[in-house]
Amino acid sequence: MDVLSNLALGFSVALEPINLVYAFLGVLLGTAIGVLPGLGPVATISILLPVTFTLQPQSAIIMLAGIYYGAAYGGSTTAILVNLPGESSSVVTTLDGYQMARKGKAGLALATAALSSFMAGTIATFIIAFAAPALAEFALDFGPADYFSLMVFGLVAAVILAHGSVIKAIGMILVGILLGTMGIDVNSSLPRYTFGVPQFGDGIDFAVIAMGIFGIGETITNLGRGAEAREYVKDYKGLWPKPHDLKEIVRPALRGTFLGAALGILPGGGPVLASFSAYALEKRISDEPEKFGKGAIEGVAAPEAANNSASQTAFIPLLTLGLPASPVMALMVGALMMHGLYAGPQLIAEKPELFWGLVASMWIGNLLLVVLNLPLVGFWAKLLTVPYRLLYPSILLICCIGVYSIRNDALDVIVASVFGLVGYVLTRLQCEPAPLLLGFILGPLIEENLRRALLISHGSPAVFVERPISLVFLILTAIVVLILLLPAIRAGREKVFAEDAG
Amino acid sequence: MRLSTDLVTGLLFVSLGLFAIVYGWNYPLGTPARIGPGYYPMLVSSGLVLLGLILVARSLFAPGDRIEGISLRPLLFVLTGTILFGLLVEKAGFVISAILVVVLARLADRDFRPLEVGLLALGLVSFVAALFWLGLSLPLRPFPQW
Repeated sequence: MDVLSNLALGFSVALEPINLVYAFLGVLLGTAIGVLPGLGPVATISILLPVTFTLQPQSAIIMLAGIYYGAAYGGSTTAILVNLPGESSSVVTTLDGYQMARKGKAGLALATAALSSFMAGTIATFIIAFAAPALAEFALDFGPADYFSLMVFGLVAAVILAHGSVIKAIGMILVGILLGTMGIDVNSSLPRYTFGVPQFGDGIDFAVIAMGIFGIGETITNLGRGAEAREYVKDYKGLWPKPHDLKEIVRPALRGTFLGAALGILPGGGPVLASFSAYALEKRISDEPEKFGKGAIEGVAAPEAANNSASQTAFIPLLTLGLPASPVMALMVGALMMHGLYAGPQLIAEKPELFWGLVASMWIGNLLLVVLNLPLVGFWAKLLTVPYRLLYPSILLICCIGVYSIRNDALDVIVASVFGLVGYVLTRLQCEPAPLLLGFILGPLIEENLRRALLISHGSPAVFVERPISLVFLILTAIVVLILLLPAIRAGREKVFAEDAG
Repeated sequence: MRLSTDLVTGLLFVSLGLFAIVYGWNYPLGTPARIGPGYYPMLVSSGLVLLGLILVARSLFAPGDRIEGISLRPLLFVLTGTILFGLLVEKAGFVISAILVVVLARLADRDFRPLEVGLLALGLVSFVAALFWLGLSLPLRPFPQW
């Protein structure tokens, strides 16, 4: 009943006309940008961040959640229509979704993705409503040492499912942490790595880094690739699933939902792990496993449901522990911070209207997504044909204006350009830039908790193994590192990605 | 000979780590119970140097993938455009700076169509003016101040 009254509070916030408008705008813009090939959710959210700067925190967060869902769905749309996953978690959707599209069932595939996502979103909203307060209460028992170990675990776990080299990914995290130390140290007031530039006293804004790397840097990378001919799908007939299609969707979507919800709570690539596992599960229990990869509707329904419910339950560690489970979540933490909000167990208690408003608007965002996208599928598909030569100047300009508008400082635009260069160089070196963002966001929190933990223990590092919660996370971290170092398993992991990317 | 990505990344990690250690040499480390502002950067940069050395060592035994060609043209034009925007936006206003970004960005591609670029610049400037200047009333200056 407590949960119900909380949800009621949330819906009263989310259903305020103005917030509803922002949620709708967020979903619309998020889908519109996210559906463009080459722009995944991280890039989409980075580009659209400035639009939310001027809003009230509540409306801004609600709009961001809308952008997030829109962008995620936009990624699935490109996965199905042009075989171009917007992010790693929609890689699986390309396997059967694109095959369905090539058989002229693009509409059915898109509708399947939308409906299974909506189903997953509805169930996951209730899971969050029930589980988050309990977890937040548990999190209040966390001491600095526990937080330190949890975040170290979160960072290391996030590496598992990053593509490419593990050592490079850990290195990128460390580079991100170093960047995060720039600015005046809060405890000693000593300026660190500010190079005598007064504006660096507050450190670099994470949106400057994100837009530099993902907006400017990716544009350069794409231009370097040259114009590549893409096979567009022209046939979008037969949008609505027939009753027997619905019957085929429901069970896989339900299995995907629960599997995804469970995996999403774990820090470290929740949605990716979820969509891969859900696909594997469906293939294993299917009577005709041979039809997977050739346009099996279950192969779209299950991973899309899993992906969506996992990205929703990923808000649980974010909002209750302040631990972003993925780069997208790291962006959300950054956005919260810009509005002076610090994610953590106190958030539910101190700002219930914000927390529950967000939970409620997640469901509304999902609903709007279905309402908006089912009729507009044909339109989004047309948007996909906007030539890149018109698209990328627009992206660059919006990035420039967006970066400048963060604090009306022209220096930020130049810093973002430098990060554009950094982003380009990193892609050339086959270093994924996303872990850098995770490190940048979590770095200062890790330092603060390390400092506090050592202060309480009078300098004894034993505190990290004496506290049971901390010990558990350190053991988990060790297990993850061990798994990463076992060559056999690592080879297997690379094989999984090689198979599915190919 | 083309360099392997592992080697260059490793060298980059080592130099960045060393730079952070040297630049932050005077930041007090503090005591274990009261760590100073230099403790954590030192910890992280040392880790980075270590990882860099591992990468360099590994690249000597197993070279791995080589670096693919760098596309200088997009790199130069795109970055010149955004940097000019940063230098000019406050003095010359967003109209001129935005046109510069769009034109330079399109010059990054060999397929330059003057009329289309003109229309695109016009459309984008109007869009920016409508959304960011009028709509969100951000403190942007449209034209140069004489």
